[in-house]
Amino acid sequence: MEETIKSIVLGLCSGGIYALLAVSYVVIYKSTRVFPFSQAAVLIIGAYIMWYCLIAWSLPIWLGFIITCAGGAILGMFIERAFMRPLVGQPILAPIVVTLCLMLFLRGIGILMGKGDIQGFGESFLPVGAWEVGFLHLPKIQVYAFILCGVLIAALMLFYEKTRTGLGMRVVHEDHVVAQNLGINVKRIFQYSWIISCVIAAIAGMLLGNIQGVGLALDANGLITIAAVLFGGLESFAGAIIAGLAIGILQMLTIAYIAPLLPGETTMMVPFVFLLLILFIKPYGLFGLVRIERL
Amino acid sequence: MNINRPCGTFDRNYFQAKELYRTPLRKVLLALLIVGMYILPLLIGDYGISILTVICAFTIGMLGLQIITGYCGQISIGHAAFMGVGMYTVAILQRHFGFNFWLALPFAGLVPMFIGMMFGLPALRMKGLYLAFATLAAHFVIVYVISNWRSVTNGTDGMWMKRPGTLFGIDFMKDRNYYLLVLTITIFMTYLATNLSRTKLGRSFVAVRDNDIAAEVMGINIAYTKIMAFGVGCFFAGISGALGGAYYEYVNVEWFGLDDSIWYLGFLVVGGFGSIFGAIAGATVWKVMDEFSTLVTPLAETFLGGAAFYASAAFSLVFYSLIIIVFLVYEPRGIAHRWEMIKRSYRLHPFPY
Amino acid sequence: MAEFTRDITKKREQRYSYGLMLLRECIEKKRPLTNPNVKERKVLLRAENISIAFGKLQALNNVMVEVKEGEILAIIGPNGAGKTCLLNVMSGFYRAQKGDVYMEEKKITHLSSHKIAELGLCRTFQNIALYTGLSVTDNIIAGRHPHIGYNFVTGMIYFPWANKEEAYQRAIAEDIIDFLELEHVRGAVVGMLAYGLRKRVELGRALAVEPRILLLDEPMAGMNLDEKEDMARFIIDINEFLKIPIVLIEHDMGVVMDIADRIVVLDFGNKIAEGVPEEIKQNQKVIAAYLGAG
Repeated sequence: MEETIKSIVLGLCSGGIYALLAVSYVVIYKSTRVFPFSQAAVLIIGAYIMWYCLIAWSLPIWLGFIITCAGGAILGMFIERAFMRPLVGQPILAPIVVTLCLMLFLRGIGILMGKGDIQGFGESFLPVGAWEVGFLHLPKIQVYAFILCGVLIAALMLFYEKTRTGLGMRVVHEDHVVAQNLGINVKRIFQYSWIISCVIAAIAGMLLGNIQGVGLALDANGLITIAAVLFGGLESFAGAIIAGLAIGILQMLTIAYIAPLLPGETTMMVPFVFLLLILFIKPYGLFGLVRIERL
Repeated sequence: MNINRPCGTFDRNYFQAKELYRTPLRKVLLALLIVGMYILPLLIGDYGISILTVICAFTIGMLGLQIITGYCGQISIGHAAFMGVGMYTVAILQRHFGFNFWLALPFAGLVPMFIGMMFGLPALRMKGLYLAFATLAAHFVIVYVISNWRSVTNGTDGMWMKRPGTLFGIDFMKDRNYYLLVLTITIFMTYLATNLSRTKLGRSFVAVRDNDIAAEVMGINIAYTKIMAFGVGCFFAGISGALGGAYYEYVNVEWFGLDDSIWYLGFLVVGGFGSIFGAIAGATVWKVMDEFSTLVTPLAETFLGGAAFYASAAFSLVFYSLIIIVFLVYEPRGIAHRWEMIKRSYRLHPFPY
Repeated sequence: MAEFTRDITKKREQRYSYGLMLLRECIEKKRPLTNPNVKERKVLLRAENISIAFGKLQALNNVMVEVKEGEILAIIGPNGAGKTCLLNVMSGFYRAQKGDVYMEEKKITHLSSHKIAELGLCRTFQNIALYTGLSVTDNIIAGRHPHIGYNFVTGMIYFPWANKEEAYQRAIAEDIIDFLELEHVRGAVVGMLAYGLRKRVELGRALAVEPRILLLDEPMAGMNLDEKEDMARFIIDINEFLKIPIVLIEHDMGVVMDIADRIVVLDFGNKIAEGVPEEIKQNQKVIAAYLGAG
């Protein structure tokens, strides 16, 4: 019983980052109906940018943070401008192939940036150590990361609900043509979606690089989060947050219970089995919108 | 106006109307092409033979993906995994059961066919993006099973595979003879795929791709069609894997990771959707790019300096994805379409259309 | 089956004025075509007490429709009355919550759509649902799918009998094209065609499925007078030559009153009237709901 609770709590902590990543997927899918597989690789780029700032150039943490966000924003703008905009109006396969290839492209750029595989930040920029609460052993890194993710998600939700641009993004999600007729600049909304999503993914990459070590293995987290996003429903933020936490818990439970039973790298495989199960049972996820086909 | 035939080509019966190579000139050109491919090993060296063998093996796999995605519209991001299943089937049958290559080859097609049909079951319930996710998950599960079933597959160490040996006095251990074998099988598979595209099942594939709800109401059993698409496509993939693995005489699970699945799909797009020529063009472009990257990598190393091994990995990732994206942006219907446009402008010269 | 190899030059002289000879031969191989006795027509298709609701919206409410042999039945009503919904239920695309559909006294409600199409219930669609990547001929040959003889392995290896079967099916499709006067666009990809031509290709594809009964959903929408007359001629020819009943959803009252044998009127999911055109013209409820006075 203790093990289970420990796993669940640890899972919640790491789930915070997965929730942030899931939100970055949903932001783009909600407005553009394109599923951005490439965000898995933006994690790597974000982690490397932070690594460069902290270790290679020895900048202070806050400056590194700002530069990472800026890097993410520029990347988002570039991707949307150069790759996504020419694809408007093409059948559904085109954006899928392009985002998949973008994922590999960014991974290649990551290899070039990192000159191979680099492990570890040296020192973490978040406080290390752990708190002992009862029988729980909470690493400080995870908790601070969780709090940061929570703050970011709350800020994003406020942006969506209260600001005019956020309202525009919600309208574009419903119908592009109607949004254009209402005077909303749809192209700019797409740009904003991609910029926000890449910034969030870069921050998530930074945090994950801190916890797991900066390297090419980070995009495994991105792929796992795909399972999370489908679980929550592709068009729902609430679903993405819940699903991210759920996947974090699932990962921890896997490490605790399933990994001793099965050989090999189960932490990569179990979320995909979970994904297959979801697709069979409830393909649209918890909060997703069901599409009805008319004839 | 039908510009695919020269003026004066009239059809007197329905057999002629549906012929693929209608005029004598086209038949002669096709025969010359096939004979030329057989004679080619005499002209080029061993290096050329190795490239051609791998192109042929890739072509069969691409044809399989063309059937699943190009004809039937089911997006499959797990194709490389089925190729791997084919490779490993032959290796396992050879090592654990002592089959020889010829006996194992049909199984190399049938085993991925059944697994593919199983993974095609999600296709019945979902389309497009969701199916892409399901095939992605299938890919990971298959790779996991292969990597970790150590008793059977030797895990990540890979397995040795034997080439066919001698048959009818031809020694297939020699590269040139093996190339001729692979070429024959490729031509046969292309024949099967072309016939598929113009018969009952192939038409139902295209009908399901274009409008599957209407197809159901018009009497086409879309469940059967989708499962058959996965089945036939994965059959081709399995054979492709078996032939490719036998060439290198070694199989390893690292050869068919997620990257390869994405390259399959990407280079199919580059070649062109929905046509046999597109699949062949895609496979050729892929192998040519492979060779190009092997040539260029030493230059890249000196340019970038430092550690060498990462340069080749990064190079293929960056370069291939750029090519695929550029093609998708500027020529979304691929090389096959561009070739059609060139032929059309030649036929209609000097008129623009 | 030897006819399909005959020379094209001879074909035009031997052709019946209706032009559906091969299709009729195909149908006659499976069941005899009888001239329906006008006095006592038997019921071929019966939709009994169909009720279907989408959430809170009741699309059909206890609707009972009978289609008799050899007649042309028109279903009319204002938009949103549930006419297309009724056709969807009949062809198995929607599952009604209550009610059953019987064809030749056999229950077909639970069958999947493609089985129902194999039994002979063919339909066209209001918003055209053609296979947009294929040419006109290929669309019609694709419609022949349930009745093509070889299996896929023989198809892939293309044994000689598969070749013959393909040529035969092509002959039938060409017959249908001749009948619908689509010869000039035979090779055109359907996506490029004009709306009126696409509706004709839809009709051709529905014919290719060897219908026992044909359900047409607004076949004359968006056409001018010429094209409407052509379409009406096709419908009457099909009805008389293949001796099958046709169910017609149509908004043009002139066409409906002229060619329909019986009319069913739907309004907001309820059947409010049924009968011959003269009665419907006088019916007060129909005038109030749909026709308007005068």
